[in-house]
Amino acid sequence: MRSIVGLLLLVLLLPGALAQQLREQIRKYTLDNGLRVLMVPDKTAPVIHFNLMFDVGGVDEAPGLGGIAHMVEHMAFKGTPSIGSLDWPKEKAALEAIDKARAELDQAIARGAPQAEIERLTQAFNKAREEAQKLALPNPIDQLFTNNGEQGLNASTGYDRTDYRVSLPSNRLELYLRVYADVMMNAVFRSFYEEVDVVLEERRQRNENDPNGALTEVFLRAAFQVHPYGRPLIGSREEILGYRVDKALEFWRTHYHPNRAVLVLVGDVEPERDIQLVRRYMGVVPRGPERPNLNIPTEPPQTAERRVTLEYNAQPALRIGFHKPTYPNRDAYVMDMIDAILTEGRTSRLFRRLVIQEQAALNVSSSSASPGFRYPNLFVISAQPRAPRTTADLERLIYEELERLKNEPVSPQELQKVRNQTRAAYLRVLQGGPGLAQTLAFYELFFGGYQRIFEEEAIYNTITAEEIQQVARKYFTPENRTVATLVTKGGSR
Amino acid sequence: MRALWMLWVGLSLGFAQGLGVPADWPDPFKMQFPRIQPTPFRPFEVTLTNGLRVLLMEDRRLPFVSGRVYIRAGSIYEPDDKVGLTGIFAAVMRTGGAGERSPDQVDEILETLAASVSVSSDSLFTSVAFETLSENLDQVLQIWADVLVRPRFAPERLELEKGRALEAIRRRNDQPTQIAVREFVRRINEGHPAGRISSAASVRAISRDDLLAFHQRFFKPNNAILAITGDFRIPEMVGRLERALAGWRRGEVSLPSFPPPTPRPAIYFLQKETNQSVIYMGLPTVTAFAPGYSELDLLSRILGDGFNSRLFLEVRTKRGLAYATGGAQSQGFGWPGFFYGASISRVEKTAEVIELMLAQFRDLRERPVSQEELELFRNNILNAEVFRFTSRQAVAERIARTRMLGLPPDYYEQYVRQIQAATPADLQRVMQQYVRPEAFVIVVVGDKRQFDRPLSSLGNVIEVPLE
Repeated sequence: MRSIVGLLLLVLLLPGALAQQLREQIRKYTLDNGLRVLMVPDKTAPVIHFNLMFDVGGVDEAPGLGGIAHMVEHMAFKGTPSIGSLDWPKEKAALEAIDKARAELDQAIARGAPQAEIERLTQAFNKAREEAQKLALPNPIDQLFTNNGEQGLNASTGYDRTDYRVSLPSNRLELYLRVYADVMMNAVFRSFYEEVDVVLEERRQRNENDPNGALTEVFLRAAFQVHPYGRPLIGSREEILGYRVDKALEFWRTHYHPNRAVLVLVGDVEPERDIQLVRRYMGVVPRGPERPNLNIPTEPPQTAERRVTLEYNAQPALRIGFHKPTYPNRDAYVMDMIDAILTEGRTSRLFRRLVIQEQAALNVSSSSASPGFRYPNLFVISAQPRAPRTTADLERLIYEELERLKNEPVSPQELQKVRNQTRAAYLRVLQGGPGLAQTLAFYELFFGGYQRIFEEEAIYNTITAEEIQQVARKYFTPENRTVATLVTKGGSR
Repeated sequence: MRALWMLWVGLSLGFAQGLGVPADWPDPFKMQFPRIQPTPFRPFEVTLTNGLRVLLMEDRRLPFVSGRVYIRAGSIYEPDDKVGLTGIFAAVMRTGGAGERSPDQVDEILETLAASVSVSSDSLFTSVAFETLSENLDQVLQIWADVLVRPRFAPERLELEKGRALEAIRRRNDQPTQIAVREFVRRINEGHPAGRISSAASVRAISRDDLLAFHQRFFKPNNAILAITGDFRIPEMVGRLERALAGWRRGEVSLPSFPPPTPRPAIYFLQKETNQSVIYMGLPTVTAFAPGYSELDLLSRILGDGFNSRLFLEVRTKRGLAYATGGAQSQGFGWPGFFYGASISRVEKTAEVIELMLAQFRDLRERPVSQEELELFRNNILNAEVFRFTSRQAVAERIARTRMLGLPPDYYEQYVRQIQAATPADLQRVMQQYVRPEAFVIVVVGDKRQFDRPLSSLGNVIEVPLE
């Protein structure tokens, strides 16, 4: 299950003409406030795919505020004074009343007040929330876009980035700009505590009641002992319960600024004309501070194997991770190749060995840059054993295959196959749509400019079989390894 | 902890009524835009000598060709004692070798060319698709044709896929949502083949002869439609297809018909240790494009589609009782689709959420929806029509499916006309006619020891053991 980004980083042998064509079509503008705007005209249909990406994510959170980036992503859908309020002065007062009621309740809990007082303050807090709900539309941004025929309105938060996505009929460009310029300046975090409950449910669903999510959490915690990649992206239950409006707003106002964002439009656009409209709205948003120095701790080199088990009410699963550098370090690109050699397709080494030949696994997959890409990360292999075979059997087979990678050079045919696969995957992304918008935003924000897409083939084309061996030897070592195993809980299933 | 007050809502001069935006910015709720009429793509249609209908569209912008042939051969046609056959059939058709090539050769060639041939199946169709860079078209088309017409079903690959299917069965109670979806589909389609689920015994019973018989019975050019788009010229492509599929012969195909499902209304409960309950509720209604379908589709959006639907607002936004909640009217082809709602909610609020959900269904029966609410969802359907024509292959495949199902060519236009004509009174009438909560199938997966109230306080409970 390689992410779209992982695939894209494997750009190879782009057919020159095609790449050239796309390159010539892309227009880049930088507004005075630092917002970078990319436009890609594509006249297939009268629609525009938007991607607004910020270089903010889980790694930017202060300890104790885990998941706050994800929380503010939810809150960015709640509107502004001019989007959603039925009576702003009244609503503003009602929101302040909620903050006050919450603070009083928190203080009472902190000083160990009697239960009756806590009850009373809880009721007052709930009453204040109900009052505020009456003064606003519940989901105003969605309402605007739904009315106008949106597709795929969504957002996602990663460890390194947050992006907001929507596709609209192309004559709604001005609506989009009017909404998002306002959100960047004036987001109102209405229904905040209701949303805290929603996020708690999301945490239960993704991380607690899903064996995969639960395993991911223990795996990352073991693999990263000081770096924020080791924390759950959604936060711990305690952290989520501790969210308060002021802290969330402070995070929002610290980070989500035009100079830390890229806006990409793919579709029925005319750059020279449409940039005027973009400037009219997005140009009003004030520039904010640059990314603060967060002193994100460096993960110390791992010196011994780490093993963790999760007892869980599900069938067994295995996850193995090896620390590795990230881009632009050349080893990271070599790891992308190894990723494809091991698990891309039915002829890949691990699929063929574990699933077809040994019939020891239901499935096997890998990822060459997990869980983020901004800092040194992991090469991860995941597999589910096929009964009666065990996770121990899978581990043994996987290590055998990694040894083979260290000891024998990959054949020219296999190298060529991997290059062909990645080139085709890349071309598919160039077909446009939301995927292209996201990819361009990503490269522009993190790889020193979108042009980088067109330059990576040179790196991959020069990677040799010897380098693949060297990199495998360097990183696939027992002491650099974290192994997480899901063990079926005894008793009821 | 830096003071960023200077960036907070700019209540400076020139900003409208203290709302933080320039006075000349429009009110987004008052912005009006004309509805863009999509420009439909029209595929070129041709029938090959052997009777295969083909829909073709050229798309020369990128060096790719994609195709998908639909065969009317779905899981509803598999024998009762071999449920799971169609899924295994699809997997082994692709992986068991084809024509002159062994399983490994097929995989090796396709992956070296970075091309794909894939076989997938559902309750109605099996489809065989390919995608390739146009420079490799001839080779990939030949393999695709071999997989379609001359699959080898290598016995060792059948054993492999059976083993994997058994492992998937072993794992199918790992996630509460997976359990709930399976049980809901099973109960709502009771009495119809779509309500069957595979078991270890039904998978073990599948033999290579069953695969050959399934292929022999359904895989005829006159029981199929091909949609193909990309970087080619139509006349040349027709010639290529004639050659590649020359050995494929037409034949008699009889498709059995089945009586509609007869679900038993009840609360079906499955015990699972988890801190959330997964709740599904609904009932069968009408087949797609039967009278009432368009209104039910609109009603189901009002009930459960997106942030401004009733379930989302009441269960999630206002009360924080779920992250995932929503509903829809499924498209039923050949037998009725179902109208349903679902929530994944904290276990100690299970009964409360069930009642809250039921109240949303009842409200749509008891009171007409507001005109504003109706317009919101109607506008979404009408304005999103342009997205139906963003991919030529998707359009060709959609047309292919509608042809296979025998729908009128203007079925979507009819649907749009009905959506445009619907009034709040129409919706209420249709809701009252088709969606009776007392006839609901309700599925709950959760830990009953933590429920706020026993489910028996809400209706007749049937406890289903986890299989």
